[in-house]
Amino acid sequence: MFNDISFANSWALLLLLLLPILFYWYWKNKNRISPNINYSSFEMFGEVPKSLKERLAHLPAILRILALAFFIVAFARPQTFSSGENILTEGIDIAMVLDISGSMLAEDFKPNRLEAAKKVIDDFVKGRTTDKIGLVIFSGESFTQCPLTIDYVVLSNLLKDIYSGMIEDGTAIGNAIANGVNRLKDSKSKSKVLILLTDGVNNAGEIDPITAAQIAQNFGIRIYTVGVGTIGQAPYPFNTPFGKRYQMVPVEIDETLLKQISGITGGKYFRATNNRKLVEIYNEIDKLEKTRVEITSYRHAKELYFGWALSGLFLVLLEFGLSRTFLRKLP
Amino acid sequence: MLTKELLKQVKQIEIRTRGLVNEVFSGEYHSVFKGRGMEFSEVRDYQLGDDIRSIDWNVTARFGHPFVKVFEEERELTVMLLVDMSGSLSFGSVEKTKQQIAAELSAILAFSALKNNDKVGLILFSDQIEKFIPPKKGKSHSLRIIREVLSFEPQGNKTSLKTALEYFNHTIKKKAIVFLISDYFDIGYEKILRIVGKKHDLIGMVLSDLREKQLKEFGLIKFRDAETGEIKFVDTNSKGFLRSFMETQKRFNEYRRSLFLSSRLDSIEIETSYSYVKPLIDFFKMREKRW
Repeated sequence: MFNDISFANSWALLLLLLLPILFYWYWKNKNRISPNINYSSFEMFGEVPKSLKERLAHLPAILRILALAFFIVAFARPQTFSSGENILTEGIDIAMVLDISGSMLAEDFKPNRLEAAKKVIDDFVKGRTTDKIGLVIFSGESFTQCPLTIDYVVLSNLLKDIYSGMIEDGTAIGNAIANGVNRLKDSKSKSKVLILLTDGVNNAGEIDPITAAQIAQNFGIRIYTVGVGTIGQAPYPFNTPFGKRYQMVPVEIDETLLKQISGITGGKYFRATNNRKLVEIYNEIDKLEKTRVEITSYRHAKELYFGWALSGLFLVLLEFGLSRTFLRKLP
Repeated sequence: MLTKELLKQVKQIEIRTRGLVNEVFSGEYHSVFKGRGMEFSEVRDYQLGDDIRSIDWNVTARFGHPFVKVFEEERELTVMLLVDMSGSLSFGSVEKTKQQIAAELSAILAFSALKNNDKVGLILFSDQIEKFIPPKKGKSHSLRIIREVLSFEPQGNKTSLKTALEYFNHTIKKKAIVFLISDYFDIGYEKILRIVGKKHDLIGMVLSDLREKQLKEFGLIKFRDAETGEIKFVDTNSKGFLRSFMETQKRFNEYRRSLFLSSRLDSIEIETSYSYVKPLIDFFKMREKRW
């Protein structure tokens, strides 16, 4: 409970040391502080056990000292800092552009290219903390699965929902880039990044990939391109009346185009031939795109003095009430 | 206490008590405390108006002109005032403290003695003997006694009637009238009281205060024991306390009363809240009837 509490005027807590002295002083002088009534002899009273009131005769003074302790604590300004929610940082914006065309079902990656890519992206997202990340998927067409957001849980859920065949088949790299750029262009972030993951050749869409890359360059967006697929042939599942059959299909990746795109925008091209390589690539991008902006954070202090002051006030009122009613003293 | 103040107080007490002594108690004192009877003192020349029955014929015949015998009442009584100076006497809830009442009573008795040509002595005591003034006659002596009672600063704070009575017993050998002025918050003095009571005419003057007889529900009170100086809070609302207080009270009083009764001694109970005149008159009346 007290772990997170710190005191703004911690020196005031030293005043607490005075309280035992005060109490000692009171106890020493308790007979001299207030006047007393002279009485002939206590022998006249006989021997009686102390009544409740007699036992509590010094309670008001103790209450007053306690109240003082509470006030001192309140004066020391106890505070808590809630660190997580209150750190404000300026991150970068990342658009993940993911190919979900039919060819992504090829099983040269385990379990297949799409699932492997989804997993790697998910891990990548989890590794970031302060960046806004969006998700664009494409095949024959392109659309935004998730706009730029800092809410990674939503992002992760939407990522899970992706499956091949959501959109008409094909590979519209130009449209995909344009869509991603569209997401990023209004961002005020200093650094904007687009990560394109594909396994084929541009064969659909209205926008030429190079044009799209130039647009991206104009907006100051870097594009990292990732080509997935082994060298040579990859097993591709077909549904036949006899069940699932695999057929070896040659891997066609337009590496020249991808290199060009990344070249124009100042990014980098990677080729992933297996799961491990893919993970490594994303790790590298993660490193390259480390948040370079300064973290201007301030801590929001929550003042806790109120409870202490209120308790002190309560004790003072209690003392006041008791010493005038139940524990009223003569003279 | 300043001497000036003290003298003023002595004067005030003298004035206040003189009236009582001259008017209220003049006859009573005289008749209650009697001497041994009439005694011949001298013969002197016959003067006009003298009772012819008192003419001493032998002397008249020898000298040739008339002489009368003069008798005087043989009084020469000794009055001893034993005044308690302990701390408990400094308590008084009404106008006067018991101490002041004791001083006024001493003054009345001293002046009464003075008027009747008796000797007055004084013993001031607490748990020890504080002061002893041997019995003597005279106005200045009486005034000195009042002064001492008023101004004396006792060494001890507690009460020991036994010490006082024992000291008195072996200091004063001649029969005396003893006024023991105290609040009687003491025990263990019965034996010596009986001894003194047999030899002397001992009269107990019991001073008390209303608040020593009854305490009401005043709540918490911070009391200081005048004898020991101890300070403590007392809850006068507590039933147990009030009961114990009344019981202790009763025990002290019954002890004292039965002791005086069985020793055939008189006592006068005087409360600070009321005038002490009435109890004194009642006492004198009672004594008068008995003789």
